Amino acid sequence: MSKIIIPILVLGLTGFVFSLLLALLSKKLKVEEDSRVGKILELLPGLNCGACGFSGCRAFAEAVTGKCDVFSGCLPATAEVNKQIAQTLGLIGCTSPHTKVVICHCLAKQGEKKVSSKYLGPNTCRAANISGGVIDCAYGCLALGDCLRVCPVGALSLREQAIDVDFKKCTGCGACLKACPRNLFELVPAKQGLPIYNVACSNRETALEVKKVCSKGCIGCTLCTKVEDSAYQMKNNLSTIDYQKGENQKALEEGKNKCPTKCITSSYKL
Amino acid sequence: MKDLLLIFISTLLINNLVLSYFLGICPFLGVSGKIESAFGMGMAVTFVMTLATSIGWLIYNLILLKFGLFYLEYVVFILVIASLVQIVEMFIRRYSSSLYQSLGIYLPLITTNCAILGSALFMVTRNYRFLEAVVFGFSGGLGFSLVILIMAGIREEVQYVNIPRIFRGAALTLITAGLLALIFMGFAGLIAS
Repeated sequence: MSKIIIPILVLGLTGFVFSLLLALLSKKLKVEEDSRVGKILELLPGLNCGACGFSGCRAFAEAVTGKCDVFSGCLPATAEVNKQIAQTLGLIGCTSPHTKVVICHCLAKQGEKKVSSKYLGPNTCRAANISGGVIDCAYGCLALGDCLRVCPVGALSLREQAIDVDFKKCTGCGACLKACPRNLFELVPAKQGLPIYNVACSNRETALEVKKVCSKGCIGCTLCTKVEDSAYQMKNNLSTIDYQKGENQKALEEGKNKCPTKCITSSYKL
Repeated sequence: MKDLLLIFISTLLINNLVLSYFLGICPFLGVSGKIESAFGMGMAVTFVMTLATSIGWLIYNLILLKFGLFYLEYVVFILVIASLVQIVEMFIRRYSSSLYQSLGIYLPLITTNCAILGSALFMVTRNYRFLEAVVFGFSGGLGFSLVILIMAGIREEVQYVNIPRIFRGAALTLITAGLLALIFMGFAGLIAS
């Protein structure tokens, strides 16, 4: 009998002594936490996407308490949530709707991208990018969906081997920017009711090389840059949009219509 | 005195817990990104290890052996370590919140740091006296700190080097750790036994 009781007693007593010590110390060393941190944490979407620049929602909530300047940081939060956070902090007046969405700089569909080899490797873009397989274009979308898997809100989808961004869902957290091995994504400013223009190609080769691998690529013809007051610029044989200048909708639309390969697209953020 | 010095040197360099017994690899690889947090981690481990071996020794020799309950050593040591980690966590949270944040999840994970349980169990199997056990725990912790600091120093410098793409990240860290272990093998001839 004592063979059972003594071990139980010894173990129980040691445990009890330690727990007593812990209980005493936890009272003595208690850290006062601002009660607002918890409230803000409840309001936040809780995606832990890190788009605000902090390591997570908790770090953001702690940093935000009492400071208006970092307050506007949460991109996935809707305007309503940000308003509530502001009220919690007593900072009514600083509001911030999320203003950035992601676009993909290759929207060539199946059939438009030339394929001359069969890829049998692991089903990730990262792996496929090393071997250079799947498609002939060394810059374009591999369409194996690495970005789909990292998107915290499910805003991305593949349609006919091309990325489709749901701007209603996209929060501009930028998770896909890191996931894409070919760096096709870009965060661009989005305004309510205005279309978002996108040069949907990343191929920096000359027209001849581009035409060999894709029927929809930017051939660097510079037609879009020649529109009056154009926001398009040529960089490395590729047309890029200067989004700082992106206010001029008419010039953007005109440039889009000039594009011979129809590689400039526009879509609405609702 | 000579014994103590021998134990100190041998645990610090020759029989380093991390590089020759391969204990505590998780924080060794996980928290060695920045020198600052590596230093904090090293200090926390040193503190917990010293206390764990000394309190473990007291409990083992004064209570467990007396009742012939040596088979409880694992449970009791884990109990001691877990409570000590809790105490260290409270202290760090109170007095250095930046260190608390940079250590993050690794601080509670000291509980499951096998280097600490390992040092407590080594102390038993090697039949150390009390003072020897304290020195062993302290030097074990210092050895861990030394190695993790070297690792953090290397990794901070490596950031500025153009590394071939496939070696980046975990691969290079593991290679570095392996080379460090090889280097520490060189200390084996330090003391002629």
